[in-house]
Amino acid sequence: MFKKALLALPVAMALGGLAAGGAAQASEWQDPTDVLQKLLDNNPDSKYLHQSEQNIMMMPDNPALWVAEDGEQLFYEERGPNNASLESCDFGKGPGVLEGAYVELPRYFEDTGKVMDFEHRLVHCMKEIQGFDADDPEVAQRHGNDTDVMQLTTYIAMQSSGMEWQPANEHPKEQAMLAAGEKLFFRRGGAMDFNCASCHGESGKRVRASRLPKMRDSQEWTKAVSWPAHRAGHDNVRSQGHRIRGCAWQMRHAGIKPDSMANTALIAFWNEAARGEPAVLPDLKR
Amino acid sequence: MPAQTLRRGTLPAAIGAVVLLSGCQFFDSDDGDVDITAMSPDELADYIVLESGSYRLEQSVQEGGSARGRMEQDELQRACSFTTSEIPEGLSGEVIEMARASYEEPPGGPRLGDWERGAELARSGYGFRVGHNIDDHSSRPPGGNCYACHQMDPDEPVYGTIGPSLAGYGDARGTDDASLSYAHEVISNPHQYFPCTTMPRFGANELLSEREISHIMAYLLDPESPVNQ
Repeated sequence: MFKKALLALPVAMALGGLAAGGAAQASEWQDPTDVLQKLLDNNPDSKYLHQSEQNIMMMPDNPALWVAEDGEQLFYEERGPNNASLESCDFGKGPGVLEGAYVELPRYFEDTGKVMDFEHRLVHCMKEIQGFDADDPEVAQRHGNDTDVMQLTTYIAMQSSGMEWQPANEHPKEQAMLAAGEKLFFRRGGAMDFNCASCHGESGKRVRASRLPKMRDSQEWTKAVSWPAHRAGHDNVRSQGHRIRGCAWQMRHAGIKPDSMANTALIAFWNEAARGEPAVLPDLKR
Repeated sequence: MPAQTLRRGTLPAAIGAVVLLSGCQFFDSDDGDVDITAMSPDELADYIVLESGSYRLEQSVQEGGSARGRMEQDELQRACSFTTSEIPEGLSGEVIEMARASYEEPPGGPRLGDWERGAELARSGYGFRVGHNIDDHSSRPPGGNCYACHQMDPDEPVYGTIGPSLAGYGDARGTDDASLSYAHEVISNPHQYFPCTTMPRFGANELLSEREISHIMAYLLDPESPVNQ
């Protein structure tokens, strides 16, 4: 019952947005369970997508939905030294516009002169609008269900569920970051010479017990980059940034920082590789 | 960056403390001073990795030195960073040459060690990880991580498939000098035979000692090893 109420909200918002703006949105909000079910139906031979029957069975009760609900409260609450809500934060589609914003990031922002990924932009708004300092736990702590950043990320990302990934690629800086992101994906380095393609170059492979998604298979890849996702093995909702940090660690590369150019360039390329496919937000992973 | 200095000082201490510390250190990287649109994608990637503050390059690493050394590419890493799914025409021979030029046979020639030690090394994926959670080699030696990508002992149910199955490897190869030399060459620097392979250079990059490589060779080739049962 709770779940239905929660899911009804973004639908209403998405429909409201369409009616009011009438903008040419590439796709409409869809329940993440339905999005995943269609991906499974369309790809009966994908070992990555079909690695766990429990995955689709648990989707309607995804614990990430509770984290999204906490995020919704945080988003509208007046807080921080400036006692302000995040309703004036511009994620790229105008102040307070959340529908479809997540799947169009990273993008170039005039006010900072930078290409920013979602988390970088969220933290920017929390600092500039709400007045949090870089050291405040509200913005410094990025990982775990109980952090503000993960709760807000899950709520805001969910407003793009079922919509197609279409990271901004018109501004020259967006194009530069996308091209660099591809180079970073294939850049071999670290103690073991790995690059991202070491694990994500072929379909159906496993590293130990984990089935690996192939970057050049956009229907596997849209699930792969659909974070936030409740990660069952961690019992926490995790972000794109958390996945990148974990991959850099496993690759024996140097530790990668959030809000960094490398993080943003990689996310730009990730989302580009899933372009045109619907996002599963929030997803659930092993 | 004082935080990095602090971490270096606490590196050998409890890993848990490092994990707790890592949550509160963030530094915005800066693209304000450079025109990223004036660089080629390769130049921008190099700038991002080495100059933009995106990585914890000052952190100490297990092999000595700093993480910057990990991210500065050597000749072979640079050659193998192509964005196509297949290796570009003509590159294979070049990479094989590079790999052969740096290969060193172990003193006294390759030999078989203890397959039971080899089995432990093959199963262990520990070692050389840095960043938010640093592997402490003084408390636990690094492994060979073979099962991440290969099947070996046919009774081991959990194994990766990025590399070929090595179950029964020794049955097919035997233990003559040619077989030992080939196994050592592939483990030490597999690019001699498989240019731009995914497999690490365990010997050439000193990820494993010659003694450890001899144990893994025994696990692969010794007729008594479970790999060959």
